Amino acid sequence: MKHFCRLSRGCPIIRKLLLSAFALALTLVFLNTHVNAAERTKVIFWHEMTGPAQEQLNKFVANYNQSQNKYTIVPQFEGNYNEVVQKFLNTHGTDASPALFQSMDISTNQISSSNYTTPVQKFIDENNYDVSKISAVARAFYSKNGSQLSMPFNTSQPVLYYNASLLKKYKITPPPINPSYSDITRVAQQLYQRSGKKVKGLSIEIYGWFFEQFLANSGVALANNADGHEGTPTSVSFDNPAAVAAMRWIQTNIKSDAFMNYGSGSNASANEMAGFLAGKLGMFLQSSSSISQLTAGTKDKIGVTYYPHPDNKKANGVSIGGASLWISNDKSAQVQRGAWNFIKYLMTPKNQAAWQVSTGYLALNQDSQKEAVLQKLYHRYPSSKVSSDQLRKTMPNTTNSGIFMQGLIQERTFIQTAMEQIYNGGDIQKALTEAQQSMNTAVKSANKANKAKN
Amino acid sequence: MEEPLNRKLKPLSNKSVTLKTQSIEKSSYDVNAHDKFYAWFFLGPSLVILSIFVFYPMMRTLYLSFFLTNSLGHPSVFVGFSNYINLLTSSAYLDSLTATLIYVIAVSILTLVFGLLLAQTASKKIAGINIFRTIFSGTMGVSVSVAAIFWLFIFNPSIGLLDQVASFFHLPTINWLTQPSWAMTAVIISTVWMNLGFTFLIFFGAFQSVPKFFYEAAEIEGLSRSYQFFHITLPMISPTIFFISIITLIESFKSFGLIDLMTAGGPNNATNLLVYRIYQDAFLSGNYGSASTQSVILAIIIALFTLIQFKLLEKKVTY
Repeated sequence: MKHFCRLSRGCPIIRKLLLSAFALALTLVFLNTHVNAAERTKVIFWHEMTGPAQEQLNKFVANYNQSQNKYTIVPQFEGNYNEVVQKFLNTHGTDASPALFQSMDISTNQISSSNYTTPVQKFIDENNYDVSKISAVARAFYSKNGSQLSMPFNTSQPVLYYNASLLKKYKITPPPINPSYSDITRVAQQLYQRSGKKVKGLSIEIYGWFFEQFLANSGVALANNADGHEGTPTSVSFDNPAAVAAMRWIQTNIKSDAFMNYGSGSNASANEMAGFLAGKLGMFLQSSSSISQLTAGTKDKIGVTYYPHPDNKKANGVSIGGASLWISNDKSAQVQRGAWNFIKYLMTPKNQAAWQVSTGYLALNQDSQKEAVLQKLYHRYPSSKVSSDQLRKTMPNTTNSGIFMQGLIQERTFIQTAMEQIYNGGDIQKALTEAQQSMNTAVKSANKANKAKN
Repeated sequence: MEEPLNRKLKPLSNKSVTLKTQSIEKSSYDVNAHDKFYAWFFLGPSLVILSIFVFYPMMRTLYLSFFLTNSLGHPSVFVGFSNYINLLTSSAYLDSLTATLIYVIAVSILTLVFGLLLAQTASKKIAGINIFRTIFSGTMGVSVSVAAIFWLFIFNPSIGLLDQVASFFHLPTINWLTQPSWAMTAVIISTVWMNLGFTFLIFFGAFQSVPKFFYEAAEIEGLSRSYQFFHITLPMISPTIFFISIITLIESFKSFGLIDLMTAGGPNNATNLLVYRIYQDAFLSGNYGSASTQSVILAIIIALFTLIQFKLLEKKVTY
């Protein structure tokens, strides 16, 4: 006690400074709470968008907050997709939890079965909101028994990109818009040979998502009970003929040396992109949302095709990827309504069109196609329309509407390990069967752990 | 030389011992409420903080390691030791364990050897040596993410520096980060590079503390430089070597940043070290039970290694 008094008496300037800083802090706190609490309802919104998508999202928020005076959306960047799932589950029921949040495609089952959210179907019914305008295949991914659990938001589909200028240079006929495996093999071989082995023909990142899409496009389920759409899956199938065919196709290209293996993880996609932009790679599979990065990074003409399908088989269509918007049920009815109103705002034709133009994610509202900004984009880069067409033409069924089960992150880890073995020349059947066994053990123990609670 | 010194010291040390015992006896009589209050007053806050952030998580980890956890992360089914049995019989986990041991031993030895070499080089009195001293300790100021970007660029399969150099000299190019056999080497190289700044600085400091007259005497005796290094420098700085070896060993067991940024445990789990596995299981897959089990096992392994080091190296250390 004595010590403090002596100090403050000895240095009046410091005392004054401290006091005024304290007073300033108090006023700021008071002003801040006063302004916000008075009229508007705060809606905390967690998202995981970075780069141009984050900029565009913040613009939407600012515009929305200005357009009305009932709600204030407070956007908070929360890191990567994986982390947010655990963060959401661990903060539920506390002041730290969000009212509205974005969560990735493969967390859908986990978030939904936590019973921590209000299905958006409730608000769709209350509002008589015309949901048929929103892409059917995107909606199907985030619904269960006909009820919409969350609203699809940043959505993409995998497509195949090719360097049209390079193909022209070596006089190679580009792949058709809806190519089969052997169409792609043909182009890859030609490009590798005619470039004097300087340009690799094809690359497919080691990514569980692509494996799932090979099955989806073949119309084959990965998990039983119709990919989980008709009940909790109890086993998975990785070593089915469709999967083996896709892996054999990749291995054929690896053996002919026309294939470039960039590995797995975010570095792999960055390296792959760099190789493609540097003209050292002719074709690769990637999310349709990469288009804006590609067009910005090279002067070469870029071509886009649908996801490759098995030979002698019609394409079933691929499912979507990305993330959706969820409303937590631990907030008041008014806050939840605020969250829903903002979702509606994001889904308007105009905003969805702006979203596709600035980020490369697909516009989900059908009416967006008529918007001038989107028309302008198609005119400037005709290839960017291919992804929109693929999405529109995909008819949802149980094998291309995502896999409704828990533990998908682990599923991808196992698949990717198998793919790594296959890419390094391992036996296809053996690698897939081993991964399948590991996943089935995991599914069994997860079902055991979850049933005990429910 | 030594004997008189010892004799001189003896009475002194005896005295201090008697002083100590006296004070202990005295204090045991005088413990009263006032002293107890002060003891709790000063120890209390740190005890509270330690219990919340260290003891409770440790106990909780041990507790969780006997359970299966549901999708919310809550323990739901008690399974006894079956998490432990499953792990220790899983070939993937044992592969991880082997990979970790290879990584830890390689990183520790290489860091020590190169750290010593750099420190020895920088101890020479040549014009402009300060520039090299700064460069050698430079990696201390480099964050893991920056280092990862730097090495990723070097190892990049299509536009990487290493492969460009290799193709310039018509050498075969290596897919550093996508071939299981090379990925571990690439990660070890990067980690050693990261560690060198700190190791160099500590060794350099230790070198400076070796009294000069030893070297002067050695010069007069006409002993070679390498003899001086092995018979004067190394014994004199043995406490530092001991310190660095333990620090590097424990740190490499806990390596996470470079692995996460460079390989994410791949390819084919070749660089899926124990800590990375724990992260994947807990924060990606949400299997807190199995992750806790792995943490307990890792803690035991690190404790064992440190114990062995103390037993083996302590004898060689001259204080």
